[in-house]
Amino acid sequence: MNPLIFTTILMTVLLGTMIVMMSSHWLMIWIGFEMNLLAIIPILMKKYNPRTMEASTKYFLTQATASMLLMMAIIINLMHSGQWTITKVFNPTASIIMTSALAMKLGLTPFHFWVPEVTQGISLTSGLILLTWQKLAPMSILYQISPSINLNILLTMAVLSILVGGWGGLNQTQLRKIMAYSSIAHMGWMTAVLVYNPTLTMLNMLIYIMMTLTMFMLFIHSSSTTTLSLSHTWNKTPLITTLILITLLSMGGLPPLSGFMPKWMIIQELTKNSSIILPTLMAIMALLNLYFYMRLTYSTSLTMFPSTNNMKMKWQFETKRITLLPPLIVMSSLLLPLTPMLSILD
Amino acid sequence: MLKIIIPTIMLMPLTWLSKKNMIWINTTTYSLLISLISLSLLNQPSNNSLNFSLMFFSDPLSAPLLVLTTWLLPLMLMASQHHLSKEPLIRKKLYITMLTMLQTFLIMTFTATELISFYILFEATLVPTLIIITRWGNQTERLNAGLYFLFYTLMGSLPLLVALISIQNLTGSLNFLLIQYWNQALPDSWSNIFLWLACMMAFMVKMPLYGLHLWLPKAHVEAPIAGSMVLAAILLKLGGYGMLRITTMLNPQTSFMAYPFLMLSLWGMIMTSSICLRQTDLKSLIAYSSVSHMALVIVAVLIQTPWSYMGATALMIAHGLTSSMLFCLANSNYERTHSRTMILARGLQTLLPLMAAWWLLASLTNLALPPSINLIGELFVVMSSFSWSNITIILMGANITITALYSLYMLITTQRGKYTHHINSIKPSFTRENALMALHMTPLLLLSLNPKIILGFTY
Repeated sequence: MNPLIFTTILMTVLLGTMIVMMSSHWLMIWIGFEMNLLAIIPILMKKYNPRTMEASTKYFLTQATASMLLMMAIIINLMHSGQWTITKVFNPTASIIMTSALAMKLGLTPFHFWVPEVTQGISLTSGLILLTWQKLAPMSILYQISPSINLNILLTMAVLSILVGGWGGLNQTQLRKIMAYSSIAHMGWMTAVLVYNPTLTMLNMLIYIMMTLTMFMLFIHSSSTTTLSLSHTWNKTPLITTLILITLLSMGGLPPLSGFMPKWMIIQELTKNSSIILPTLMAIMALLNLYFYMRLTYSTSLTMFPSTNNMKMKWQFETKRITLLPPLIVMSSLLLPLTPMLSILD
Repeated sequence: MLKIIIPTIMLMPLTWLSKKNMIWINTTTYSLLISLISLSLLNQPSNNSLNFSLMFFSDPLSAPLLVLTTWLLPLMLMASQHHLSKEPLIRKKLYITMLTMLQTFLIMTFTATELISFYILFEATLVPTLIIITRWGNQTERLNAGLYFLFYTLMGSLPLLVALISIQNLTGSLNFLLIQYWNQALPDSWSNIFLWLACMMAFMVKMPLYGLHLWLPKAHVEAPIAGSMVLAAILLKLGGYGMLRITTMLNPQTSFMAYPFLMLSLWGMIMTSSICLRQTDLKSLIAYSSVSHMALVIVAVLIQTPWSYMGATALMIAHGLTSSMLFCLANSNYERTHSRTMILARGLQTLLPLMAAWWLLASLTNLALPPSINLIGELFVVMSSFSWSNITIILMGANITITALYSLYMLITTQRGKYTHHINSIKPSFTRENALMALHMTPLLLLSLNPKIILGFTY
């Protein structure tokens, strides 16, 4: 793509999300979402083939539907409150519709069906943007309307997402689909605690973005999109296998890595609010996620997968330059001792 | 406590910066020195704990376990030298780093005051152990073993996290030093029954309890020698230590909640001992023997009398040293014949007489021969369970008999009789191996002179 045009489109994506996060007028928020959507379609379609076209179309259709639902909720809110400022939502119907619309944008169950298919159809870099940057805008709106969200609907969607994210990923060998199901499960964790303590949602989002960024960077570095090709990294760069191990264990939520911090804080917040069965259930279902991460680590780092002799040549070709990989890796694995610093987030 | 933790952490730069010919010497020497530092903790002046800071403390229960942990690291390093000799240098350093990381987490676990910190470190010990088992184990089954190990333990311990946080909600603090003064009775309700279950299941899986013990034979058998040693000697004791700490908060539900687990343990110790009589795999025999001994510890902890606590603590330390030594002996067989089958390496007394002496001592302590500390532990547990209920003497007596049977079976099969013709060319015992056995046996025998230090806080 022409670099100038690519820059413009990328900036529009950024601008769209910024507008969503910083507006106080509901119409501007909707405009921000639309800008974001329209500008990201060419990015998703950077490689022009039918698979990408299909993925972009699916993405466009679901996100446009969600934006329209959002618009309807905004209008109902306008009718009942008479003003366009974004505060809490004044009508329960509008709140339910808005929650559903934002869940569709995030990829929460029961609106999760587009996430694996879209993520699989696009390139690794576009998948990275899809699973990290695109989650920021809807999450910021959920954060702002969190006092008025119907708790039952949100918790049902959250728990179902964790279930679907866990079970759906069990049968996958394609790395992008695995990351998609992992994203669904993490979104479930984030929205579960939204009503109780939205700061923890933001913490979970931050750590999730760091870990997903790291994972995608490692996949891009080894140019691998399937488990099989990932299992050849011990031939090319053995160091990457260790990093993949650490990051995957962190995503699975094992102490002492930083992926445990959001889970621990969320369980703590939920338990403090006297819901005991829910965090236990969520924690046990997160073990499903851990199972397929472990399967990935088994084929990548903990065994030396059989490969042909040609594999050893791969290191001689140009290595991709990965931005900021060391700091990302450190942050996605070693942040747990900093948990007492969370008091500054209030 | 930092005087132990910081040197242990610094063992990691030591391994990465050592030269190829100095790596084993450096790490073994310095880890031995660290274990000598920890011996000073055994001097516990009063029945209360020695409080080092807000975060670390040591009391007569955790001090012997801590000394065992630090004592075991040089032994693990000595035992691993042979099977790692052919690996490239970086992999050796990675292995030692895993062991050191595990050691750090274990030291911090045994001395943690805050129960959530204990929990995080308890879980943290899983990661290096998993990596040691699955990366450096020898057979394909190790992958399955790692999964069983990880998921059994995590399934048990996630409810523990929720339970600890809800206890913190109720009482305001999870600092162990405060809780032992708080000690109110838990009101009788369904949710408190689940709280009891949530708190105990993590440690039951770790011990392991008889019905939840499936991970143990797999993990012990597939792990390399250092992994087996640390699993048998220390990681199982984490479960016992946790149970001993947390039962102080869980009265009075324990009086009736403990019955199913007591039944499972009493029956399970006989079942696993009986399985030992039919094992062909040497490591598997020792693994099931571990389950049997730990079942005794579970019985002791659940009865909650002063004598049973003394027996539990003594049995933990004694079993740690004995089991680790048995695994080292089994490994010396494995390195020579590359098979774990017992009958393939029989009649070794003729070929390796000094090793036969170590086999004899290890088997004798495994069957709890007087005056070893194994006997002290078992005797205290048998006596306190007899006072709890007279009928248990039948089961306990049966267990002691069957333990003697399989220990002698193992000894006679591997040592006595005519040796097979295919092992007459095995290498003689290395000095390193003899030193390893001596270093296991000496504390065990010396402790029988002064068992007071391992009898725990109810002495």
